[in-house]
Amino acid sequence: MLKINNLHANIDDTKILKGISLEIPDGEVHAIMGPNGSGKSTLSYVLAGREDYEVTEGSIALDGIDMLELSPEERAAAGIFLAFQYPVEIPGVQGTTFLKTALNAIRKQRGESELDALDFLKLMKQKTKNLGISDEMLKRAVNVGFSGGEKKRNEVLQMAMLDPKFCVLDETDSGLDIDALKIVADGVNAMRAENRSFLVITHYQRLLDYIKPDKVHVLAKGRIVKSGGPELAHELEEKGYAEFLQEAA
Amino acid sequence: MAQPTPIKKDHKLDDYNIATNCNSSFNAALPEWLKSARLNAYTDVQQSGLPTPKWERFKYTNVAQSIKNKNLSYAPADISTERDLNFVTDLTSNLNALPDWAKSFLSSAPAGQEKYQDMALWDINSALFENGLIVNILAHSDQDKPLNLTIKGRNGCHTQPRFLINAGENSHFTINETHEGEGDFWHNGVTQIHVGKNATLRHYRFQSNPDNAVHTQNTAVTIEEGGTYECFTMTMGSGLSRNQIHVSIIGSHAECILNGINLLKHEQIGDTTITIEHKAPNCTSHQNYRSVLNDQSNGIFQGKVHVHQIAQKTDGYQKSDTLLLSDTAQMNTKPELEIYADDVKCSHGTTTGKLEDTPLFYLRSRGIPEDEARALLIQSFLGDITERISDEHIREMAINQVISWLKA
Repeated sequence: MLKINNLHANIDDTKILKGISLEIPDGEVHAIMGPNGSGKSTLSYVLAGREDYEVTEGSIALDGIDMLELSPEERAAAGIFLAFQYPVEIPGVQGTTFLKTALNAIRKQRGESELDALDFLKLMKQKTKNLGISDEMLKRAVNVGFSGGEKKRNEVLQMAMLDPKFCVLDETDSGLDIDALKIVADGVNAMRAENRSFLVITHYQRLLDYIKPDKVHVLAKGRIVKSGGPELAHELEEKGYAEFLQEAA
Repeated sequence: MAQPTPIKKDHKLDDYNIATNCNSSFNAALPEWLKSARLNAYTDVQQSGLPTPKWERFKYTNVAQSIKNKNLSYAPADISTERDLNFVTDLTSNLNALPDWAKSFLSSAPAGQEKYQDMALWDINSALFENGLIVNILAHSDQDKPLNLTIKGRNGCHTQPRFLINAGENSHFTINETHEGEGDFWHNGVTQIHVGKNATLRHYRFQSNPDNAVHTQNTAVTIEEGGTYECFTMTMGSGLSRNQIHVSIIGSHAECILNGINLLKHEQIGDTTITIEHKAPNCTSHQNYRSVLNDQSNGIFQGKVHVHQIAQKTDGYQKSDTLLLSDTAQMNTKPELEIYADDVKCSHGTTTGKLEDTPLFYLRSRGIPEDEARALLIQSFLGDITERISDEHIREMAINQVISWLKA
C-alpha cells in the first residue's frame, strides 16, 4: 500500500504541492485528474524522487518504508515505477542494453542474482509479445526516432520488465491516437494484480475508459479537492475544472 | 622488425635552443639532399624556438613550457609492429635508397601552413629524426588485416619518429597506432600520407601516455581523386598533447573523414588543430570531435576548412561537442571557414555543456545507480563518434577504452 500524508513540495521556492494525502491499497487503480498547473506532474516526480523538487513537509511510504529517505534508484528497487509523460531519448544506448542494465541493477539492489543473457532474452520476449514491440525496435537506441506511441509502449515494457509494486503513469495518453492508446492500456491492464497498485495521472477522462480506476481524485492548485468513484471522471468531463479551481482558491 | 634501439644520450634537449647539441644527426652518412633538408629545418627551428602561447595557433598549448622543465635527451623512437609485412620497411636503413615519393616527402613540407607557427614542431622532427617506417601499400592491394603499430615513449627521452605512408591506386588498408609509455618523455612525431586515386586508408590512433608525457603529432595527408582518408583519434593520455592534422584534397570526388574523442582529466591539456584544404571540386570533408573533460583539464579544438576557388560543390562539415564534468574544466574552440568558391555547402558547429538532469533522472528512476547512469550517458554522448568508426574491431576497442576510462 502506498501512503502519502500531508505532502508539501517546492521547486525553486515556489510552492507546488500544498498538503496532499492519499492512500492507494494494493490491487487498486487510482486516477488523479486536474487542470494544467495543478501539480500533477510534480506529484509524479516527487514520488519517483527527482532531486529538483524539495519536499518541505509530509511523508510518502510504500509498505511502511519511508520513500523520502531514498534515492530515485533505491525507490525503483523498492518498487516505484514512473512512466514518463515525455520518455527521454538516450542516443547510442541500445534498448536491450538499457533494459538489461536497469533490470540487473534492480535485482542487485533487491539481493537477487543478475540474469544471464539467455534468461534475460526469454523474459524480454515474453513481455514484448503483447505490446507489439519488435526486436528491431529494441536494437535501436532508447526512444531515439520513436513515434509517440512507440515511446509509450516502451515505457510500459520497462514497467513490465522491472516488476514494480506501485506504478505512476504520468499523462500516458498524451500524444497517442486511439489505436496506440488501446495497446498501451491493454499492457497496463495486463499488469493489474493483487499486490500491485497504480496511480494514473491524466488531464482527460478518455484514458479512464480503457484503464478503469477504482477511485478518482481531483487535484487543483496543489491539493486534492474531491475524491470519488469512476463516475467523478465523467462528471469532470461534462463540467470541466472551473468549479474546483474556485473551491481551491 | 624494428626492435627497440638502445637509447643514445648524445643529443641533449636544451630548452628553447632545441638543436644546439644535435649536430651528430648531420654527420651521419646521409645523402646530400637529406642533409640539406635537415639543415634548413634546423635553421628554421633555431630562429623560431619552441611554440609558446605568444603564437596565435598555440594560444592555449604551451609546448615550450612543458618541455622546458624536463631534462630530456634524444633517443630514437621505440616502434614495434605486430607482424612483418613486406611493404612496411624501416626508415633508418633505407635512407640512402628511398623511393622517389618518400624522397619528395622528406624534402617538402605541406604548403599553406604558417611557416613558423605551424611548422616548428615539424621542423624539429625533420632536423632530428633517425627512425620511423616506410609503408608503401601496393596499388590494387586489399588487406583486411590492419597494420598494428605500437609507439612507446621512453623515460627521460624525446623521440622524433617519422612515418611515410603511400596508399597506391585502388588500394584498401588500415593502420592502427597505439601510443603509450612510462615516465617523463616527449613524443614529437611527423606522419606524411599520400592517398592515391580511389584508394581508401583508414587510420586509427589511440594515445594513452602517462600524465608526465608530452605528445605532439603532425600529420599531413594528400588525397587524390576518388580517394578516402578516414582518421579516428582517441586522446586519453599525456599532460599536454597536440594533434595537428593538415589535409590537402587535390583530386575531385575525394573524401576526408576526421573523427576524434578526447577524454581528459587532472590537469591534462588536449589540443586538436586541423586544417583542411579543398583544392578540387566535388569533395567532402567531415570533422566530428567529442570531448569529455574532468577536473582541471583543458581542451582545445581549432579547425579550419579552406575552400579554394576551384573547389566548387565542396561539402565541408565541422563539429566539436564537449561535455564538462567539473566546474574547473575548460574548452576552447575556434572554428574557421575560409571559402573562395561560390557553390559550396560548408558549416561548423560547437556545443559545450554539462550532463543534463532529465536523462540522468530517467535512468536512475529505472534503478540504475547514479555513477552508472552518468557513465552510460557519457558513453551515449561519445556513441555518436564511436559509431562512425568503420572498422568493427577498432570500434569495439574504442568503446572499451571509453568504459575503462570512465571506471578509472
